[in-house]
Amino acid sequence: MSVTARAVGLAQPGLFDRLPDLSGKTSLTDKTGKTDGLAPIINRDVAGASNPFLQRADARLPAAARPQAGRVNLMEMRLRLLLCAQKRIIWLILIFAALALVAMVQIAWFGIEGRGPARGPVSADLVPPRGEITDRNGAPLARGYPALSLYFYPEAMGGDGGTPLVRSAAEIARELKAIFPDLDESKTARQLADGKPTFLRRRVLPEDANKVWSLGEPAVQTPEFPDRHYPQGKLAAHVLGRVIEDERGVSIGAFGMEKTLNARLSDEKLRAAPVALSIDVRVQGALEDEMGRGMKAVQANGAAGIVLDVDTGEVLAMASLPDFDPNRISPQDKDNTNNRATYVTGELGSVFKPLTVAAALDAGVVNDLSQSWDASPVKVAKRSFKDHDEKGARLNIPQTLAYSSNTVTMRVADALGGEQLRRVMLELGMDHAPEIELQARGQPYWPRGKWSKLTTMTVGYGHGLSVTPLHLANAYAAMVNGGIFRQATLLKVEPGKANPGKRVFKASTSHRMRQLLRMVAIYGTGRKADADGFRVGGKTGSAEKLVDGRYVKSKLITTFASAFPMDRPRYVVVVTLDEPKITQATPGRTAAYNAAPIVGNLIRRAGPMLGVRPDNTRDVDISDLRYLVEGRK
Amino acid sequence: MTMTGSRRRQMGWTAVLAVCITTFVVFSVTVHAVRNEVVLADRAIVRLKIKQQRLETEFQARANQHQLAHWNRVDMGYEAPRADQYLENRRDIAALGQPVGPGAPSPIRVARGEAAFADAGAAGAVAGAPGRGRREMISPVTGAPVTLAAANIDEVPGTAFAQAFGDILIEASPIRQAKAQTGTGPRRYKSEDAE
Repeated sequence: MSVTARAVGLAQPGLFDRLPDLSGKTSLTDKTGKTDGLAPIINRDVAGASNPFLQRADARLPAAARPQAGRVNLMEMRLRLLLCAQKRIIWLILIFAALALVAMVQIAWFGIEGRGPARGPVSADLVPPRGEITDRNGAPLARGYPALSLYFYPEAMGGDGGTPLVRSAAEIARELKAIFPDLDESKTARQLADGKPTFLRRRVLPEDANKVWSLGEPAVQTPEFPDRHYPQGKLAAHVLGRVIEDERGVSIGAFGMEKTLNARLSDEKLRAAPVALSIDVRVQGALEDEMGRGMKAVQANGAAGIVLDVDTGEVLAMASLPDFDPNRISPQDKDNTNNRATYVTGELGSVFKPLTVAAALDAGVVNDLSQSWDASPVKVAKRSFKDHDEKGARLNIPQTLAYSSNTVTMRVADALGGEQLRRVMLELGMDHAPEIELQARGQPYWPRGKWSKLTTMTVGYGHGLSVTPLHLANAYAAMVNGGIFRQATLLKVEPGKANPGKRVFKASTSHRMRQLLRMVAIYGTGRKADADGFRVGGKTGSAEKLVDGRYVKSKLITTFASAFPMDRPRYVVVVTLDEPKITQATPGRTAAYNAAPIVGNLIRRAGPMLGVRPDNTRDVDISDLRYLVEGRK
Repeated sequence: MTMTGSRRRQMGWTAVLAVCITTFVVFSVTVHAVRNEVVLADRAIVRLKIKQQRLETEFQARANQHQLAHWNRVDMGYEAPRADQYLENRRDIAALGQPVGPGAPSPIRVARGEAAFADAGAAGAVAGAPGRGRREMISPVTGAPVTLAAANIDEVPGTAFAQAFGDILIEASPIRQAKAQTGTGPRRYKSEDAE
């Protein structure tokens, strides 16, 4: 039936055109003998007529009309034909109407259902491929930033089996080598010859990208690719670490906080929110700047510095010099990736004396600070120890710290006893690597077993035990904050969420130590760190370096460990220099000449940023102890 | 032609239904159109945010802490504020507005030539800041004293005036010449004796 309808449809225009001419011939061409209906038109080949239109037209005539072909019959035929045409037109209209209805329904459905160009939440576009790291105030330290890359895309030339390159792979590799001198030419040639899409190089400069375009190779492209960027450059490089790309081009943390936080930063659900570190970029910048200048002035090999919040354990700044640029690691930077603040251990010397005194005060071994101790050379285990700078035959405790007397500290440590001192040092975490989020944590040298008299005495003034500056900063924080030891952290601590910590010293001991440390900065070796109005208290330490088992007099590790403001300590600052030298700028080699001024300058600069205002009308009350030192002066 | 009641109701209901459906479709299409506009606006916001992030990153990179420290020290010669530059309370602020007493130093100091103050020590005593004295102009780069070109010119316009009326009138004049001179005064960054 459908075949018939289609055939009729085709024939329709012909029918109307020829109707007037059919009048005389129709009766003569009748051969089928069929009377009515549409069936005969499919038998037109049987009829053998050359003109199917003519044949079809006459086939529709009723049998009765054919013999007498008059006007009436013609009229009737015309009517029937018109009727037929109308029917077909109605069919057409219905089909079009159905199509229109479908279209309308579809539009209505779109309107109701609300699909269309919208796709998913658009804010998803803002989620970086790797989470952002910020400082405690939200300043970005590490974030994604698109960089141009050199990408080989063989399908650019159609991928129809022809070669993807216009010229030979070796030739292009040679020209790329001319643009990027450190490119591995043979490897690149191999990659180009392989014909697989691959990154030839990351981080291409725009001018180099232009040169690549001028090579005229469509398959060598320079698309933008998300890359890790450190806007502050070298700042806090040792804390942040850096990333490397795996074979899929995904960034993974290589070391530093990038590695520690790797899972968190690459987690699809969590990476939208930045991770806030405890670092404050302004303080970090000031620390690095002052350390860099101080280090240059005394031509030291390296330096480490820490600013620690005594109440929460947050590290506000941590620097290690020489540093490196995580945006551009060069081969000579490899040695600089060691974090001297958390990884490199050393005997830190006299900065341990306040810890020994605090332990003795805590244990009740020292009750009376005015009690005078014998300051003559100590002879123990066939060795003799004397003071670096002899200040008298007998010294009291404030003088011992102010003048940094080895002999009195050794006697105090001996009076305290090895077991007691060992217990305090254990509680301060000196026997294991410092607890912080970084992987670069140095294992201290810790005297094993029961401490002998000599070990106790040497540990008492900071020898025979090598730790990192972070160990020291943690211990000082516990000593001045009221006696609570907390682990340091590089992650921002919300107010009230600080680690409760554990008590190591009595609160009364802590108060005494504040006075004593302040007196060292006023009367003793720490005078150069006494930033006007900031009530700094601290202790110097200069230890000879152990080279091949022998102490070398000219190679020192100088440290200044301090806290401020001493009337209500809030921050501990520790700065260590490796092998400072006597220069025109500094007539001495000890910490008083090199490490202490750095701390003083830093506190002057960073104190106001940390919320400590210089104020000459406040200070910790040392009126009950002042006479003990001033009497000597 | 008359219509029965039920026929009329039927037509009425049909009309109401038709109106409801039409309104529904029209509203739906409008809502969808608005929603699309929101999506487009959202995309524009995202685009701008990404742009903003890039600019912010660029700004942070150009004004990083090392660069700022360098500018502050070398180009600007800034120093950390001293304790006496802070005001503790309202009383301190109010003290700023007190009338200048007899013999008190001028509250605003301007750079002036050595001719006016031959003795830097005396000037320091007058200024009430013993030890600090009048600071000579130094190079922010090297810390060495600077000689301005003006200091070498003998015949400055005021010279004849000064010769005629003396220094008193020059002192009284609100306009003072800026004229630094090569230092005989104490070095500013004299290293203190270290312990």
